[in-house]
Amino acid sequence: MTAVAPHSQNDASPDAPQRVIIRTVGMKKIYHRGEETTYALRGISVEIFTGEFIVVMGPSGSGKSTFFNMIGALDSPSEGRVFIDEVDVAQLTAEELAFLRCRKIGYIFQSYNLIQYMTALENVTTPMAFGGVNPDEARKRGMDLLELVGLKDRWSHRPIEMSGGQQQRVAIARSLANQPSILLCDEPTANLDHQTGDEILAILQKLNKERGVTTICATHDHRMMNICDRLMWIRDGDIDRIARRDEVEVELGHIE
Amino acid sequence: MKKIDVQNQPVLPPRRVFQIALTGVKYRLFRATVTVAVIIVAMAFLMNILTESLIKRAVADSVREQIVDLHRVDRWIARLSMPQPHEDLLALLTNGEAEAEAWTELAARGGLAMKELEALQPQARAAQDALHFFAALDYGRRRVLVGPAESIQIFHRLQEAGAWEQFAANLTDMKTLRFPTDMDSFQAFLGDWPALYDALEGVREGQSAALAALRAQLGDTPLMGALGQVDGAFGDQIRAAGFSLSAAEADTLVSEVERLEQTLRIEATINNPGVRQKVAALRDVLPGDVTLSMIWDLLRDRDRAVWFIAAMQENGLETDRLTPEGLEALARQRAHTRLLQVAEQQTMGAGGGLMGIGARMTWLALVSMLVCAVGIANAMLMSVTERFREIATLKCLGALDAFIMSLFLIEACLLGLVGGLGGALAGFVLAGGRMALMFRGLLVQAFPWGDVAVAAGISVMLGMVLAAVSAVYPSLRAARLAPMEAMRIE
Repeated sequence: MTAVAPHSQNDASPDAPQRVIIRTVGMKKIYHRGEETTYALRGISVEIFTGEFIVVMGPSGSGKSTFFNMIGALDSPSEGRVFIDEVDVAQLTAEELAFLRCRKIGYIFQSYNLIQYMTALENVTTPMAFGGVNPDEARKRGMDLLELVGLKDRWSHRPIEMSGGQQQRVAIARSLANQPSILLCDEPTANLDHQTGDEILAILQKLNKERGVTTICATHDHRMMNICDRLMWIRDGDIDRIARRDEVEVELGHIE
Repeated sequence: MKKIDVQNQPVLPPRRVFQIALTGVKYRLFRATVTVAVIIVAMAFLMNILTESLIKRAVADSVREQIVDLHRVDRWIARLSMPQPHEDLLALLTNGEAEAEAWTELAARGGLAMKELEALQPQARAAQDALHFFAALDYGRRRVLVGPAESIQIFHRLQEAGAWEQFAANLTDMKTLRFPTDMDSFQAFLGDWPALYDALEGVREGQSAALAALRAQLGDTPLMGALGQVDGAFGDQIRAAGFSLSAAEADTLVSEVERLEQTLRIEATINNPGVRQKVAALRDVLPGDVTLSMIWDLLRDRDRAVWFIAAMQENGLETDRLTPEGLEALARQRAHTRLLQVAEQQTMGAGGGLMGIGARMTWLALVSMLVCAVGIANAMLMSVTERFREIATLKCLGALDAFIMSLFLIEACLLGLVGGLGGALAGFVLAGGRMALMFRGLLVQAFPWGDVAVAAGISVMLGMVLAAVSAVYPSLRAARLAPMEAMRIE
């Protein structure tokens, strides 16, 4: 284990003991296509702690997305293991996986992936419905979440009637529907203009600080460096480097 | 190692799933409309076939006796002109005691005892079965099996030297053919055939002798004219000649002949230039354009009938026994007769096959179902494939496979239901309208409401089932995929 002890300045309760929330052990993903064998991941072992804000960077094709899908329980590794909250994902049944995706993890995608035929509020309350929350309660919580992302007055709008930034904010509200302990963001600002991207980043930072949600972001956006605890570089399916933010800032200072 | 603390995901209540499916359909209304249209067209075709066939069958059932009555005079003229053909006699023999009068007549003509007739019955039945088999054969194969012979000549031909062996060998070669009986019993039947044939010939000779005597008594009087007085002496002569003729039948025949005779007289007026010109002037057309149906239309009005008789007298035509009331009744009767003739032609092939819609129609219906199954499957496949991203997203949010399946199944059933209902209605209106134009009054009493309701039910059910079945596979595939795989496929 080469995990660097996290800097806990952003944690909501600095005195709380650090706990590992995601742990991967020798995680590999191998694709076979005919004779050809592609190694998307070459055995990644990493630990992520509760309340951390981690940014994952790497060129496209580096295995960044694959890594993401593995720790988000959206795909299963060819070799190695993934533990979420110390639970081995590979041993879960389909129903238990659905439960995990529903309650423990919130997903935010580059292309928002809102359900086109639902209103903003319906989009936000859908995971609650899957989780068995009663409709009145879901509605109330949904409105609260929309207020949190500043879209309370647009609850009845369909995705097609909203701008990209607004859609991404609805997606964030949706990802928080069942109070997940992990937030997985796959290039959340890539499709947005500079200013809207700033707004989204502010929301993510606020969530991480105030609610203590463990946030993992894959991104090319360098602004992310300012708000994260740790940075992780992936290259050719392996971890290139993991560093705390303050260490990186020193290096950047050298380059400039 | 920590114990797994995740639980199973609750199942969404059906009402909620239905709501979500409905919102989805509403949002993609145009796409859904296209799918529904495919189902409507397919189901309308099916319903159209079913309804038309059912109506035809019902009409055929309700007018069968009237149609038989239609040919009463023709039948008697045929009966009194020549001996009955062998095939008819075979049919009579097979039907047996069901038609007691004909049966007695048969015995008397052939000079056969009842016991002998009964003994011939099984052979007559075998002969009929064989004749049906040969009649249903296509020309080429019949030619190979029995040469140019047709109907009962086939049995004679098979008596010839070597013919049987050749027939049996050829039949064995034609592996797809199934002869109604096994070869041994057919050979045994052929052995008995000369005796049966002799008996039939005996009956025919008896009929010929009786007919010859009748004709001698009739002298030069045409048969049709004589039948007009069949309630008198001629009727007695017919009975004396051994034909069964009840008094009631005789009375009906007389009025039928009278009506035929009057009809012929009215229809002959069209050849009279004077009458023709008067009708043309009344209808404001050229004399050359006057048609028979124009005249019959006129006669359905009492005042016009009076006017028409006057016109006939003016032009020196015989109006003996023609009354306005009679002509009006004749015109109305003729309209009904025309309907019956249409019904007779149209319902010729009715019956048999699925729900009595006829074998050919059953095939058409099955093929149409196949075509529509493919169409619906394609529409559903498209609709599922273009929503892979949505499915993946729903799975990320914690949807169970069962939820995704039921989402698509509900949508398919909904579209199938709407399409089935629309198709059933469209098919019913089309078929009902066409049949109403064809059969008019005959349809009112005979309309098969119950059967048509069943057909509509079948169409709706089938629309739903086809849509649901064709949605199962693609949605199952989509639901089983790992979320990220599904997103990548798009």
